[in-house]
Amino acid sequence: MIKKQFTFFDIFLTLLAGIFFTFILLVFLMLFTAVSAGQLLHQLSSPLVFASIRISLQTSLIVVCLTFIFGFPVAYLLSLKTFKGKEFLDSLIDLPIVLPPLVSGLALLILFGGDGIIGKILGHWDIRIIFSQKGIICAQLFVSAPFFIKTVKESISAIPEEVIAASATLGASSFYTFRCLILPLSKNGILAGLAMTWTRAMGEFGATSMVAGCIPGQTETMTIGIYMNAMSGNLEAAVAVGIILIGFSFISLFILKIKFSRSYGYHY
Amino acid sequence: MGIIIKNIYKSFAKQAVLDNLSLTVKKGEFHVILGPSGEGKSTLLGVMAGLIQPDQGDVYIQQQRVNKLAPEKRKIGFVFQNHALFPHLTVYENTAYGLRARGVNGKKIKKIVAHYLELVKLQELHDRYPFQLSGGQKQRTAIARALAFEPDALLMDEPLSHLDVLEHERIRDELKRIQTATQVTICYVTHDHSEAAALADKISILHNGRIEQVEQPEDIFYHPKTSFVAEFVGANNIFTANLIDVNEGISRFRLNSSESIAKLEIEAKTYPVFTRNTEQKLCLHPEKIAISHTPNGKNSFLARIIDIIPQGAVFKVTGEISGLKLRAVVPKTSFKINSHTEKIWFTFPPDALHPLCGRSCRAAIPQRVCKNINFE
Ligand SMILES: Nc1ncnc2c1ncn2[C@@H]1O[C@H](COP(=O)(O)OP(=O)(O)OP(=O)(O)O)[C@@H](O)[C@H]1O
Ligand SMILES: [Mg+2]
Repeated sequence: MIKKQFTFFDIFLTLLAGIFFTFILLVFLMLFTAVSAGQLLHQLSSPLVFASIRISLQTSLIVVCLTFIFGFPVAYLLSLKTFKGKEFLDSLIDLPIVLPPLVSGLALLILFGGDGIIGKILGHWDIRIIFSQKGIICAQLFVSAPFFIKTVKESISAIPEEVIAASATLGASSFYTFRCLILPLSKNGILAGLAMTWTRAMGEFGATSMVAGCIPGQTETMTIGIYMNAMSGNLEAAVAVGIILIGFSFISLFILKIKFSRSYGYHY
Repeated sequence: MGIIIKNIYKSFAKQAVLDNLSLTVKKGEFHVILGPSGEGKSTLLGVMAGLIQPDQGDVYIQQQRVNKLAPEKRKIGFVFQNHALFPHLTVYENTAYGLRARGVNGKKIKKIVAHYLELVKLQELHDRYPFQLSGGQKQRTAIARALAFEPDALLMDEPLSHLDVLEHERIRDELKRIQTATQVTICYVTHDHSEAAALADKISILHNGRIEQVEQPEDIFYHPKTSFVAEFVGANNIFTANLIDVNEGISRFRLNSSESIAKLEIEAKTYPVFTRNTEQKLCLHPEKIAISHTPNGKNSFLARIIDIIPQGAVFKVTGEISGLKLRAVVPKTSFKINSHTEKIWFTFPPDALHPLCGRSCRAAIPQRVCKNINFE
């Protein structure tokens, strides 16, 4: 190893990086100084704020479960099988990541609305997606599941072909290979993907507000609550909810960093 | 268990890799497939194991056509070029994998795994993970893993290529011992002919997508049938000569002028093929040339020494006889050389020479032509 000495170039880079970090840090710091601890607690005890936290947690956890159930097969097939139209499906899955959530919300609104294909069918059984928590779940699922799929796909693809072939030559059925090889080897990717999906679902605003509206106590998630409170001048409530949201996200990302970002060195 | 490959074709991106390849691996045989890098050795093993679907042709295992049979149903063990151990499992668990996948009961697994770990001398390291092993230990784990489910045949893809010389030799000898002990059919791929010589009951030379020669090591090394095989195994004195005179026992040849300015005349043991061709490619194994300070009977020529390379217990001597370059390999003990030696006599008996197939075995009928050369 070469001796680690700071060159002028390094100092230059450090300076630029420092400016950026300061910017990020300042943003959060300002948020935290905007309310006192007393006000924070007071806001948290308000039933509407509490309800929004409950709704957010409830919907986002359901989204995480659904993402796993439906997203894992997608990731598995996309990374291990070859078939016609794979590239097309692969790009399609990634699309919600880059699409403005408002557009996603609009599309979901059309699909699930009273005149939409699915909306009409569900209407027969009196199931309403729009302006309900089901709508929140749909919107969050659409926007955040691709993060899980992408991460899991990468971790499965990282398993060398020969390792999977080895399992087959040892007489393992595809299910045994899945259970004893692919699942454990992609465990970190799965957990990381779930954490990312959860964080994204908690923070989702655009699509959710489009589909579910902003009915306090019913479809008002934390992010929607923040927006509503800020717009109506109740900055303290907005900030309080914001801080809690940041807390959740940061803890989730931090655990992800230190626990699940390790991967297997296959080329040992 | 025997494996038979019949007329296999396989291309990647329109590039033919296996081109009408046929091969028979007999039960209990240690069969080595020898060939240069990138010639399709791994592809061939993949086809046998069912990991690669051939474009055409058939694979038979124990007389049964298995083209459509999934790899997990073939009972063929595979040792991969880069081990392909399961990184999240210990040596023990890696070895037990095939048994567990088959639902063998726990007690039995313990016994079998212990047996195979002992066979490869890994008992002590049973609870290590692959990343905690040396290259040789990983290799032995891979071998134990492939053997433990007691496959009918074992395919090995250059399993010793990443090891240092000592480890290489040790595991090679161990492998031979294991094969002798278990009598498992092994099809072993390598590009290293000394490895092939040490292991094989039978060697197949893979070239240009086909098997160019199949024989016991002795015959491959001392009686290569084509120029390619001769060059590849180091029987690298090859020259074209014109027949002057054919007799019952001995025939006389004159070397082409392109080979030697002096148009040397040599005597060779007569082969039936000599009566059909007047121009003939002849091969002379370097080990069959003797070196002396005085001429020594038939086929004795004074050579100017080009270089002398000591190698193990032998000298590799390259000499030139009026334009013809000959390589000889002689035991160090048989011969005193000093730096002043400039010229020396090269002698080879008439039966040291044998004919090579004129064309390369790629052409339309060559395989049959090669077989027609009667070496007896
Ligand atoms: N999946 C693939 N896609 C495209 N080309 C391939 C593929 N697998 C192998 N090839 C090509 O086929 C040829 C034979 O490959 P193969 O791995 O069988 O050679 P090999 O004899 O095992 O070589 P080595 O001794 O280097 O391992 C090579 O030219 C390689 O580039
Ligand atoms: Mg190979």
